Order: sequence, then structure tokens, then C-alpha cells
Amino acid sequence: MSDVSADSLAEIYRTTYRALVRFLYRKVWDVERAEDLAQEAFARAVVHKPENARGWLFIVAANMARDEARRAARERRHLTLLTAESQEGAPASDEVFQAEQERAQMRAALEQLTPRDREVLLLWDSGLSYSEIAAHTGLAQGAVGTTLARARRRLVEAHEAGEKGEHVARG
Amino acid sequence: MSHVDDGTLHAYLDGELSPPEAQGLEAHVAQCLVCRERLEEERALIARATELLARAAPPERDLPPFRPGDIQPPARLWWQVRLPLAWAATIALALGIGTYVGERGVARLEPTAHERPTIVADQLARTAPAPGPATASAPDSVFAGQRQRVSERRGRVSKPAASPAVGSVIEEKSREEMLRQPAADSIARPEAAPVSADRYLASKAAAPTPAHREMAQLNAYGGAVKGPPIGVDSARLLLGSDPLAVPDLPVRGIYRARMIGYTGMVIVEQELDSSTVIEVINGRRSPLALDAVVVSAAGEVRRDTQSPGARAMLNARAADSLAAAARPAPMPAADEEKAKHAASGLFVDVRGPLSPDSLAALKRLLRPLRP
Repeated sequence: MSDVSADSLAEIYRTTYRALVRFLYRKVWDVERAEDLAQEAFARAVVHKPENARGWLFIVAANMARDEARRAARERRHLTLLTAESQEGAPASDEVFQAEQERAQMRAALEQLTPRDREVLLLWDSGLSYSEIAAHTGLAQGAVGTTLARARRRLVEAHEAGEKGEHVARG
Repeated sequence: MSHVDDGTLHAYLDGELSPPEAQGLEAHVAQCLVCRERLEEERALIARATELLARAAPPERDLPPFRPGDIQPPARLWWQVRLPLAWAATIALALGIGTYVGERGVARLEPTAHERPTIVADQLARTAPAPGPATASAPDSVFAGQRQRVSERRGRVSKPAASPAVGSVIEEKSREEMLRQPAADSIARPEAAPVSADRYLASKAAAPTPAHREMAQLNAYGGAVKGPPIGVDSARLLLGSDPLAVPDLPVRGIYRARMIGYTGMVIVEQELDSSTVIEVINGRRSPLALDAVVVSAAGEVRRDTQSPGARAMLNARAADSLAAAARPAPMPAADEEKAKHAASGLFVDVRGPLSPDSLAALKRLLRPLRP
């Protein structure tokens, strides 16, 4: 416990904060929420002083994102009405629209992965090592490579299928 | 040797095989056409997946300041602000439930009420072993706050969909307040923020400059992704030789890193002066790596994640690595160690908030790092 000084946490913040936001963003799909949750995770780390702060942060973040998703699911029926109204008023530029569409496509592709495959892929993309991913997910370290291989293949396939689907719909 | 499975190929390409394992795989791949082709396929797959994931990245924003000394008091303050509101919300809801739904509604809710504390306990078991009533100590307050939310949620779910969720508005407000506080705080002190942002730097009398911040971005999203800090022995193990560094400069830290096309990568952070930090990148190139693939794939990812400054730096680096690969190691014969380094397929570069000329000059100074 005592080995986690404010200094080392500051260093972890510097090297990990963005990766944590990225990780959370791909779960809650809202920058503001992702940043808020990342801040809260670090605030908790300051209080709890976990031994392996990096791994701990991602576990806490994953739990918070899961709670967030549950809450969102409960509130969705209220929100659908609201967002449908609010989006009408803001015409997006082509560039923003394009980026938004790519993001939506990626989101759809990511959501076709199994939860475990997706988790492993997102953790790797956040800079965690195989052993850290193994500790986080409970997988054997030797299984991380296999899981990643499958996750990457499915992601690319799901994305290609999504693009094709869209072309068919357009044509 | 039988063929290599996909998982091992990915572990190899991710730089996650131990040096002996990697050597075994390389030996097999060198004489097995099937596996060689598969290796290239998997390499392309990884590059494609990484590129796709980069599209689902949030927009770049500045790193908000981190002030460990300051966080704790506000953390306590949030709970102080939050708790009375939360209690008020609970009472209001309790009354509301009594009036609107009656006992039937409460009974219906029991499963939710059971489900939530499990998650809370799961999150907090490590640090809050004795769940008690709210006291002044922070972890307990956290726990109390969480429990508070449980009861609020419990109330909220029971609300008929048609009636406005008063409780949830109150909860949202208090939660918002709690989360916005640090953001508002940081906006209020824009000049002070970067200086106090990083105690580590402050303790080393280093004032982070914009260029420095840019470098932090580069670390997070650049070609080489910076990983956890490691010791010099681990660095040696990863590279198979001593990592190179600028002699006589204090080493701030050694980090594991990774980049597509490299089986082992290490970043040595050194202080050039009190306000400048450079990074010496040491990479063990996969002997089968195709430079063209490495550079173009990395470029694709960079395009949408880098600020113009960082991109310029990266492009300079990419160009440099191509040029370095093209000319067959014209190292001065005097420096045997360095020549050996280059011959063994190691890639070295220096990056930092300096001009390309200065970086090149520093690069010429590199020597193996000895403890």
C-alpha cells in the first residue's frame, strides 16, 4: 500500500489517462461521460491507493462502465424521445458527419464481438500487456493471444460485413 | 516442429513472446512457407484491426491537470455536498413510493435491491472491509454514497414511466456537481494547472512546456505505444542487448513500449535539462518485418489522431526509419557495440521537443546503457 506514492500515481495518470478515456469511450460512447468516469476512477485510486494502480484503474473503469450501461438501458426509453428532438437542431458538417458515421460503424462492429473478446481487444488497445489482461479477465496468459487473434479477425469481418450491408442498402 | 497456432503468431507480433520462444518461432517460420504466409496475413490483420479501432477513438483533448494533493479534500467535499441531497432524495422517494405505488411496488423491487449491493460490494470489498454508517473517513463515505445511490435507484425504477422522475433529477444533479467540480476547478486556474499538474516533474524542477504535453500525446497515440515502467534488466531481456541511451544524462525511467513490426521495444526517458525530456526508442525489429507495411500502416492511424506538430515529428521519424533501413549500417567501425546493435536488427531513435538536427545529433551520441 505504501509503495503507491502521489508521484507514481501522477506518472500513471500522465501515461494512462488518455488510454483510460479511450477504453471508457468505447463502452459508453460519450466523450464527456468517458472523461468523467476516468476522473472518478483516478479520484478513487487516490483514496484507495491500490498496489497495481494501472490494472486496478481499468477494473474500476470497466465496472463503472457496466453500471453506466445498465443505467442507460433503463433510461433509454426516456432518452430516445429527447435525443431525437435535440439532434434535429444541429446540422453537422460533412466531416463531422463522416467521422460520426465511421464511429457508429465501428461501434456496431465492436458490439458484434463476444463480451470477453471485446474486453481483451480494448484492454490491449489501451496498452495493457498480456499478463495484465490475463489478470483482469481471468484468462490464462497463454489464451490471451488466441482471444486477441479471434477478436481482431471478427472485428475486421464484422466491419466489412457492415460496409457491404450499407452499400447494398444504398444501392 | 508442427505449425504455429494463431494465438502464438499474435503473441509474437504483439511482442509478448519471451526471447527464446520468439527465436523458436522465427526458426520455424524461416523454413516453413505456410507459416511465413500466415505470419504476414496475421500482421496485416493486426494492422487493419488497429486502424479500425483508431476510428472509434474519442476526439483528442488536452490532458486535464492531476493534483494528487488537491484531490482528496474536494473528494471529501463532494460527499459532504452530495450526502444531504442524497438523503433528501431518498426521503422524497420513500414518501413518493408510499403515496404512488404502495406496498405492492416495493415488493416488486426486491430483486433490484439485492442485485445492486453485490456490485457495490464487489467494487469496494478490497478497500472497505467494514461497511458501516457514513463517517468522516473517505472510503466509508464512498461506501455510504454508493449505498445511497442503491436506494435511490431502487426508488427510481419503481416509478411509473409516465411520472417525471424527481428522484433521478436530484441524484443526477448531485452527481453532476460531484463530477464537474474538478473540471471547474481546473478551468479556474489555467496557468497554475500545468505546473502543478505533475508532481513528478515539479519535484525534478521541470516545467512542462506545450511541446512536452504534445510528447505525452505522442506517447499515448503515436506509433510507439508506451507501456508500464520496467527495470534495465527487463529492458535488456526484451532487446537481447543493452538499450542505447545518451551518456551522462540522468535516466528518468525505462518503459516497455510496442509498435507494429517490432517484437520488443523499450523507451528510455532522459532529462536533457531541467525542462526538456527526450525519449530514446530502442526496438528489436522482427527479422521478417516489411518496412513498407510498418510505415504505411502506422501512417494511417496517425492521420486522425495526431496534432499537426506531433504528426510532423512522427513523419520525420518515419522518414528517418525508412532511410535508416535503406542504407546498410554505415556505422563507424570504431563503435563496435553500436554496429553490433544495428546488425542485430535493432532500431534506435530519439524523440523529444527539439529540432530534427538536435535529435539527429543526440542520436549520434547514443551508447549502450550500463547500470
